[in-house]
Amino acid sequence: MRLALVGNPSVGKSLIFNQLTGLGVEVSNYPGTTVELQRGNTCFQREMVELVDLPGIYSLEGNSDEETLVRGFLDRQDTDAVIAVVNVTRLERNLYLLLQVAEYGLPMVVVLNMADEALKQGLEIDPGPIRDLLGVEVILTAASQGKNIDRIIPAALAATRPSKGEIPYDHHVEAAVRSLGKMFPADRKESIRALQGFGDNPEMLEAARTIADEIESRHRMTVAQIIAANRHNFARRIADLTLKEEAMLPRTDLDSILTRVFPGIPILLGILVGMLLVVFIVGSFLEEVIVGLFNVFAIQPFLALGLPPLAEALGTSVLLALQAGFGIAFPYVFLFYIIISVLEDSGYMTRAAFLADSAMHRVGMHGGAVIPLTLAFGCNVPAIMSIRLLHSRRERIIASFLVTMVPCSARTVIIAGIVAGFVGIGAAFSVYAIVFVLILITGLVLSRVAPGERFGMIMEMVPLRRPDPRLVMKKAWSRLSEFLFIAMPLLLAGSVVLGLLGFFGIMAIFEQMVEPYTMALLGLPGYSATALIFGILRKEMAFETLAILAGTADLGMVLSSLQLYIFAVVTVLFVPCLATITVLLREVGSRITLAITLYTVALGLLIGALMYRIMA
Amino acid sequence: MLPSTFEDYLEAVLTVTGNGRQPATMQDIAAALGTGRATAETTIASLVEEGYLERATGDAVRLTEKGRSVAAGVARKHRVLQCFLTEMLGVDADAASKEACTLEHGISDETIERLSSYMEGAEPPQERIRRCRGREACTLLDCKEGDTVRVAMIRGPRRNRRLLDLGIFPGEVVQIRRKLPNQSVVVRVKGCDIAISPEIATSIIVESCP
Repeated sequence: MRLALVGNPSVGKSLIFNQLTGLGVEVSNYPGTTVELQRGNTCFQREMVELVDLPGIYSLEGNSDEETLVRGFLDRQDTDAVIAVVNVTRLERNLYLLLQVAEYGLPMVVVLNMADEALKQGLEIDPGPIRDLLGVEVILTAASQGKNIDRIIPAALAATRPSKGEIPYDHHVEAAVRSLGKMFPADRKESIRALQGFGDNPEMLEAARTIADEIESRHRMTVAQIIAANRHNFARRIADLTLKEEAMLPRTDLDSILTRVFPGIPILLGILVGMLLVVFIVGSFLEEVIVGLFNVFAIQPFLALGLPPLAEALGTSVLLALQAGFGIAFPYVFLFYIIISVLEDSGYMTRAAFLADSAMHRVGMHGGAVIPLTLAFGCNVPAIMSIRLLHSRRERIIASFLVTMVPCSARTVIIAGIVAGFVGIGAAFSVYAIVFVLILITGLVLSRVAPGERFGMIMEMVPLRRPDPRLVMKKAWSRLSEFLFIAMPLLLAGSVVLGLLGFFGIMAIFEQMVEPYTMALLGLPGYSATALIFGILRKEMAFETLAILAGTADLGMVLSSLQLYIFAVVTVLFVPCLATITVLLREVGSRITLAITLYTVALGLLIGALMYRIMA
Repeated sequence: MLPSTFEDYLEAVLTVTGNGRQPATMQDIAAALGTGRATAETTIASLVEEGYLERATGDAVRLTEKGRSVAAGVARKHRVLQCFLTEMLGVDADAASKEACTLEHGISDETIERLSSYMEGAEPPQERIRRCRGREACTLLDCKEGDTVRVAMIRGPRRNRRLLDLGIFPGEVVQIRRKLPNQSVVVRVKGCDIAISPEIATSIIVESCP
């Protein structure tokens, strides 16, 4: 048996999926979170039931990636029944999609979720009209409290009949459906879709287009508009029958503060700066503790064993890699993901997107780009994955350039560890300032030269809600484990290779060869080039490697402030890390990935060289 | 369903040019509608984009086949209504013309047919027909925070399918919840708040705003 969950974004689909299967699916409170199909299994009366969580969509006739994916899934009739999840506090708009799903003629059960919130808003819900009009089972649930979730699977397994509800269309559209049905072996749904230009029978599409043109000239509205209006009106009728408003309880409207220029924009900036400060201060404190513990309880006892030199070098490399990995992953990355998860689940991100919309227009994108750019402060990898929520390739290209330049938490480690640690906290913030100015310039230039059409933003402001601490931790944890999964093997392998190269003296030869160039260009010793190259594996390795090669953790002793500063700036700009390059290849293709890589290398070296010329 | 402003403009082009085959200059059109040149220009631009008018020499425009049929239809409704009001109900000619200007946009073709046959095809002489004053066509961007407006038309309807799916389509009533100085807007439709970029908001033409 296979069941599929369908619904609008932010209706609690993923939460229900989580509770039914117990898997760690990410729940986010902004549109476009689930881009791929999530599958999970659950047992019901000793029978295996496969659940599929489809991405949240607004319509089955749009052209976004998610909408195409769900349409394809339903077209293949790849499921035994559909579980349509509806946010009952936004019933009318949600019913619009439900009516489209009902047209597919699959067995269906309707889940009216967020019944608790509706109750708080003073709404009285009568599931009768939906049951009668559509002929399907209706369940009232409150997923955040786990209420009635156990009734979903039995009801879905018992559902065998397709919905009997039919949307009453405009009489011209109905006539068109009838004549298309006579000319071709097409059912109601196929005819309606052919009228809007969807389908795979060219003859039928041709006939449908002729009829559609006729209807359009008569109504002076496109057929898609007429059909959408009919569906919305039917949805309104059902919603009016279902909901009875008792007394509208007064609600505090946070949006009256959050979405105004004042105090909205200061709040937005405050949140971003505060987030960086917390990660900076708490992160570096925790890092010291973890690194210290590791030294005392792992590295020193290991060195005290007195193993043969080669084994000792290998063992030390592995331990150093683990130390670096955990010393960064927990304090910086985990902390950052917790903060980001809170922001996402609260629904604040859509407000940020709205406020930043016009600023983002200047750099050639729309407000939605705020989400990848903020995610990038944590790790560029999930940020690059989230650029899919931008509509055009043009915006995705611009976003992929800018995202890879945003200092991620690994680069924060370098800035905090080298610049804030040995030069000063003001200097550390100046590195951020330099990077932001460069990002801005890159965006301004790219928005002029990048080819393609501009698209604006049409984004639903999801309801604000209090994030559930358990879900926040769960999500931060699952992202962290993803990070460890990608980062740790690279870190271990890189560290071992570095240890071996150092052991056999190959490193020293390489350093002697490049030293004249790095000295002339950047004023940095040869071993810093090695550190930079290891920074490609993982950015924070540049810092660790530099400390190892310099032979001391007190970098201030061996390098001048200027050298440390230049090293940090070059590392922060220089080449996205290997994991980022891997996702870039998947999301934007090899040409753009190569362009981004070359651009960042050139930019890093250029800025470093300029600084050396000016300040030395 | 075309916003009444647009119907007024097409009707004005028809009356200015007599039979609607010659081009009409921007100045004539603005004068006929008693509106400013700048307002006239933006509306004319929309009508050209939608294929109701085509550019002739200079700043003059000409009705297309599609535009002519709309304009002729509206003009006929005006004549029938005015005749009904003056001849059958005895309303004063000036007041009748003014009323007809409003009614002509809401009445269906079918009712006009019946009204016309009821009056046995009587129509007032051409010269007694007063021209309708133009109303301001406005887009979502011309509205203030808190305004409640009806969507009249969406320019380039095939471009932004998501608007339709979120419930922003001709005939729907929306409320402007927030408008930033940089022209990004939030509208409330069907109980949901939707943020819209300025370049999309400007393609949504609305009615009954101040």
